[in-house]
Amino acid sequence: MEIKEIKELANRIMFDVNEEEAQNIINDFETFEKQLAILNEIDTDGVEEMIYPFDTPTSFLRKDEVSHVIDKEDALKNASKTKEGHIVVPKVVK
Amino acid sequence: MSIDSLMNQDIKTRCNEAYEKVVAYQDKLNATITAIDPKDIDYDKLEGKLKGIPVALKDNVSTKGIKTTAASRILDNYYPVYDATIVEKLRKEGAVFVAKASMDELAMGGSNLTSMIGPCHNPYDLNRISGGSSGGSAVLVASGAVSVAIGSDTGDSVRKPAGYCGVVGVKPTYGRISRYGIIPYASSLDHVGYFTRNIKDASLVLEVLAGRDDHDMTSSFEKVDEYSKLLNSNVEGKKILVFDNVVENIREDIIINSFNNVIKGLEEKGAVIKHVRFDDKLMKALFPTYFIIANAEATANHSNLDGIRFGHRVDGNTMEEIMINTRTRGFSSFIKQRFVVGSYSLFEENQERLLKKAQRVRRLIVDEVMKELKDADCLIAPASGNVAPLIKGNKSDELAPEYLIAENHLVIGNFGGLPSLTQPMGFKDNLPFGVNITCNPFKEADMFNIALAIEEITGLKDLVKEDF
Repeated sequence: MEIKEIKELANRIMFDVNEEEAQNIINDFETFEKQLAILNEIDTDGVEEMIYPFDTPTSFLRKDEVSHVIDKEDALKNASKTKEGHIVVPKVVK
Repeated sequence: MSIDSLMNQDIKTRCNEAYEKVVAYQDKLNATITAIDPKDIDYDKLEGKLKGIPVALKDNVSTKGIKTTAASRILDNYYPVYDATIVEKLRKEGAVFVAKASMDELAMGGSNLTSMIGPCHNPYDLNRISGGSSGGSAVLVASGAVSVAIGSDTGDSVRKPAGYCGVVGVKPTYGRISRYGIIPYASSLDHVGYFTRNIKDASLVLEVLAGRDDHDMTSSFEKVDEYSKLLNSNVEGKKILVFDNVVENIREDIIINSFNNVIKGLEEKGAVIKHVRFDDKLMKALFPTYFIIANAEATANHSNLDGIRFGHRVDGNTMEEIMINTRTRGFSSFIKQRFVVGSYSLFEENQERLLKKAQRVRRLIVDEVMKELKDADCLIAPASGNVAPLIKGNKSDELAPEYLIAENHLVIGNFGGLPSLTQPMGFKDNLPFGVNITCNPFKEADMFNIALAIEEITGLKDLVKEDF
């Protein structure tokens, strides 16, 4: 992997990495690839992926009643910029 | 001090003392992100199993109106507008919160070195790590500030620091405790866990925390036992599996000798001991399997940290710029590295080779362990291969079996959602190390009974390290 590739990977998940961070990630990937070789020694043909520990069904029907409502004031409390009950962001359509 | 002996003290005095310790110890231990002054508590109104017991919460537990950062700069101005379910449950039973404890950033680490406030120090040696990611919680219990602290455990984040700090660390069955209001790391592996100083307290605290919660669809309907009333140390006929892959990869004689003493003691109490050795290839795959799954899930879970609706926003000319600037400044280099790996595993072209492969190996690992555990009562092993490493120590060889197996075997409990507990086992040069037991799903009562027997064998309980 090259620094340019790592920077592109980072940008795809919405952050930048500097040269030093990218180089460290490259070094970590080298160890990671060696650990992957351990996984690849294991035959997983026909094995179903394990997504959660238990397949316990927990679906249920709740009563058709309003519950657990967060009011507008609370919902906006943690936003850095708000105006007239809305979160302010830069203009999207210019 | 145990919960029982705290109950004999004046409520206000014990809560104030706990808060004062949290504040006073900060300079040396750096275990707390936010201290919570109990001055406004109406002590006359407190009732319940934890009436007036001071409790610390890991800083990824949402607390209404109290800053909750998950030790990340990106959340250093975040004040939740609701309480986590466990906060409500603890408060209902009379608990008094005195600290939001430090942790690895976003719970993604095993050292507590990545917290935005810097390393948390082990009270047994300030130059050593607490372990992580729930290091602050472990240290606040070990140092005597509180008797109960909440943590979370995705790979071993309660049970590993418990061993390093000489306290009890419990991670119950997946779904046993609601995760509603806990800032997530990896949803298929995350558990709420907690620390106490003895097994009796551990059994009582689970009674308070456990139970179905409709706000967490993964929480279980399974009945909650009165664990503290069921508690007894009778292990006659209990089948105990000695995890030989782990034992064989530990180089410290003192840990092996202490472990052998525990096994001998259990045998003398009537337990049936059987040595088991799981497929070595699968055991060496524990860490890479965890690393891929946990980072992939974390990358997806934390895509909401963008500074728009909450968190520390860094300005930009477009929405995209705001997000990139916010996340670039808000995450440490360590977290960025984890996210890059996670994202890499999630790419469509890599999913088969990485994520799905890891998920299949996860199933093989769990099946391999359950093949033996389903007919037994617990799997037992030293919690780790050594005492807490030095903060400025060398990085482990991440390809050596000592690392891949002895330092990472606790993740089996997360892969399978199995209840698992670490408790003190001994000391090397005045530094504690622990023993771990892992049991069958929802068999927490059995787990506490075996742990109580071990506590009687080692004589190690209610350890406090105040002179640091």
